[in-house]
Amino acid sequence: MSEVLAVDAVDVTKRYGELTAVDAITMQVGQGEVYGVLGPNGAGKTTFLRMLFGLIRPDAGTIKLFGQTREQAGTRSLDGVAGFIESPRFYPYLSGRRNLEGLARLDGGAAPGRLDEVLEVVDLADRAGDKVGGYSFGMRQRLGVAASLLRDPQLLVLDEPANGLDPAGIRDMRALVKRLAAGGLTVLLSSHDMGEVEEICDNVTIMRTGTVVYHGGIAQLRHQAPEQGHRIVTGDNARALALAPDPDPSLRVVPGADGALIAYGAQEQIDAYITTVVTAGVPLRGLRLTEAPLESLFFMLTESAPGGVPHALDHPAAEAAR
Amino acid sequence: MSTAAETIEPLASPPRARHRAPSLVDATWWELSKLTAQVRARATLLICLVAPVLIVVVINGQGRPPKDTLYGRYIHHSGFAVPLLMLGFAGQWILPLLTAIVAGDIFAGEDQHGTWKTVLTRSASRAQILWAKTITAVAFALVVLVVLAVSTILSSVVIVGHQPLTGLTGQVIPSGTAARLVVASWATAVAPLLGFTCLAILLSIRTRNPAFGIAAPVVAGMIMQLIGSLGGVEAIRPLLLTTPFESWHGLLAEHPFTGPLTTGLIVCAVWCVLCLAAGLVSLLRRDITEG
Repeated sequence: MSEVLAVDAVDVTKRYGELTAVDAITMQVGQGEVYGVLGPNGAGKTTFLRMLFGLIRPDAGTIKLFGQTREQAGTRSLDGVAGFIESPRFYPYLSGRRNLEGLARLDGGAAPGRLDEVLEVVDLADRAGDKVGGYSFGMRQRLGVAASLLRDPQLLVLDEPANGLDPAGIRDMRALVKRLAAGGLTVLLSSHDMGEVEEICDNVTIMRTGTVVYHGGIAQLRHQAPEQGHRIVTGDNARALALAPDPDPSLRVVPGADGALIAYGAQEQIDAYITTVVTAGVPLRGLRLTEAPLESLFFMLTESAPGGVPHALDHPAAEAAR
Repeated sequence: MSTAAETIEPLASPPRARHRAPSLVDATWWELSKLTAQVRARATLLICLVAPVLIVVVINGQGRPPKDTLYGRYIHHSGFAVPLLMLGFAGQWILPLLTAIVAGDIFAGEDQHGTWKTVLTRSASRAQILWAKTITAVAFALVVLVVLAVSTILSSVVIVGHQPLTGLTGQVIPSGTAARLVVASWATAVAPLLGFTCLAILLSIRTRNPAFGIAAPVVAGMIMQLIGSLGGVEAIRPLLLTTPFESWHGLLAEHPFTGPLTTGLIVCAVWCVLCLAAGLVSLLRRDITEG
C-alpha cells in the first residue's frame, strides 16, 4: 500500500445555520482499501462525500485526496477520483453514449475505445444509443458507474450505489464493486445497509448525526458485536423461562424487551431447551433468529444513547475523532 | 453486468494515463452539443426563420397600416420599412424572450435535472463551466438575431419590394443605402441583446429555476420600458437595458448621430460585466447540495 492516503480528512466540519451536518470528522482511507461509510439517513454521509468532491465547502478541517487539497490543486485534486453522490443524474434528452462523450470531454477526453469498454463493463453497450430519459433506475446507476470508470479512477466513491435497486440489481451492483476492488481500485462506499458494507468493505466508519461513532476494521467490529440469539414466543413465557437450566454458560435465556424470551447458546443447547419447553406442555408460538450481530451493533451505535454503546467501541471512535 | 461469481474477476487496474486538463473549448463543445440536442432551441430557431415571413405576408395584406408605430405608415411603400417596424417591436420583449429561452435555462436546467454534481465532479472547473455556458448562450442569442434579421429583411424585400426608404427626418434614402442602414439598425440590437443574455444568465444562476430564468428577463424588460416611458427619469433612462434597442433611430436621421449608440454600448457592457461577475461569484461560492 502506498504511503499517500487516498483520502485524508481531518476535523472536517459543515454547518447549516444551527445544524451541524458533519462535526469534526476525521477519516483516512489507504490506497487499495475498500472502505465503508455507514450510517442511517441524516447521519452526514452524503454531506461528507460532497465535501470530498468539492461540491460543498467545509466550514473547518482539511480534505486531501492523494495528498492534494482543493485549495492547492483546484479541480486537479480530483485527478484519479470518480464516483457519484446519491443517484447519478444525466441529461435525459441525450443518449447514454452522448452523455458519456460529453462527460469525457469535461475530463479532457477519453482514450479511443474506452467508452465502449466501460459501457461493456456495466452491460449497457446495447442500450447506449437510447435516450437516458427512457432508462430504468438500475440502468442509470450502471451508467453512473460507467461515467466514473471513464476517469480511470484510483479512488471510486459510491454513495449508496444499491439504493433503489431491485434484489437482482443489488446483487449485480455488489458483484461489480467487488470486481472493481479486486482490480486494485480504492473504493469508498457509503451505505445505510450494514450487510452491504460487511460483504464488501475491509474497514468502516460509522456515523451518527454528523459524528463518528466507530472507526476501524470490520473484523474488529464483528468481534465486538453482540451474540445472535433466538427469539422464542410461547403461550406461557414465565413457565418457559423457569424451565431454562440454572446458570449455564452454554445456554442463557433472558426476557426480551417485548416480553418474548431470548435464548443465547450453541444450537444443540437451544434445540434441547425448546424440546424441554414443548415436552412440558408449554405451547410454542414463535421462533426466529434475532438481528444479525453486526446489524444489531449498528443499531446500537446509531440509535442508542452514548451509554448504550459497548465500552470496547468507545476507544476507536475516540481515536478517530482525534 | 456480470452476476455475482464465486471467483471475483478483477475489472479495473490502477490508472493507465493521466488525463489532459479540459480546455474551455472542451467545455463549450459539450454545452453546444447539449443545446443542439434540445427541441426548444431548434424550435426557437425555426420560429425565428418562419415567423417573420408569415408576419410580412400578413402585414403586406393589411389594407390599413399601423400608422401609430414607427415606420408603420411606410410598410406598403418600401420593403425596408417592415424590418424597422419589426425591429422596434422585437426590442420591446421578443428579443429578451428569445435569448432568455436558452440563457435563462442554461444554468437552472442543471438544477432541474440534478446534473450539477455530475458536471462538477469532472475535471472542468466551475469557472470553465460558467464561461462555456456563457459562450453558448451568447452564440445562441447572436444566431437567433441573425436568423430573425435575415428572414425579416429578405422576406420584406422579396414580398414588399426594395423601394427607397423614407428616413426619420423625412429624407429619401436610396435602396442601396437603406439596405445597409437596415442591416446596421438590426446590428445595434446586438449590445442590448447580450445585456439581456447576461441578465438571464445571472437570474438562471441565482434562482435555479428555469421558468423564472426565462420569464424574469422579459418582465424586467417590460418594467424597464415602463420606467423609461415615465417623465422625469431622463437621468435613469440611458442606464436601462431597453433604451439601446432604440439607438438605431440616430442612423435613420438626415444627419446621423451615434451618441445613443455609444452610450448604449457602454451601458450594455457594464450590465454584462456586472451580471457575469455576480453570476461567477455566486457559482463559485455555491454549495451543491441538491440533485
